[in-house]
Amino acid sequence: MADPLEEEIQQEIKKHKILIYGKGTKALPMCGFTRETMQFFDQYGYPYEVIDVLPNPAKREALTKMTNWPTLPKVFINGHFYGDTDILEPMEKKGELEPLLKDAFKNI
Amino acid sequence: MGLGERINPQCGFMITTDSLTDYVRKALPDAKVSVTDRTGTMDHFSIRVVSDLFKGKNLLDRHRLIYNALDEPMKDGRIHALEIKAETTDGG
Repeated sequence: MADPLEEEIQQEIKKHKILIYGKGTKALPMCGFTRETMQFFDQYGYPYEVIDVLPNPAKREALTKMTNWPTLPKVFINGHFYGDTDILEPMEKKGELEPLLKDAFKNI
Repeated sequence: MGLGERINPQCGFMITTDSLTDYVRKALPDAKVSVTDRTGTMDHFSIRVVSDLFKGKNLLDRHRLIYNALDEPMKDGRIHALEIKAETTDGG
């Protein structure tokens, strides 16, 4: 039986094509990096979800284990982990991000 | 206690750019490390690491290597926030 937290995370990353696990909410980001990541996706215009994991340390820990990535925010696109804007910005510069997002939203 | 390493009443020990570089070089001995203090508080950093040990590794794995190397100062709070650039010597 899989860890229920991990199952919850799997459900969430399946449900939201772009998902940011961060500190704070869309309306009230509690960390500069989470805000930066939201602004990064705002320029693309695709819908994204922000899930605040500050109130849930166990989930934060489960996420860290699943991704082998210690920091927040953590970005998932189309069910795959892409780290944070330090990864996404170079991808954007290489022209890799736009096709990825297009593909994620092609059937919507 | 080295020069520039002093106790911050709010945060305990601060890390120096030299010590940060040492942590990275323990994992990546050939690394050229440039550190920028983003906020003037010596706990929000931007680092650029150039190493040929990154060859054949994607960005996620390169960053994981750096996070692993800096695990201690990240866990004890000396590094509060970190922005990373990881490149090889040929700019890859």
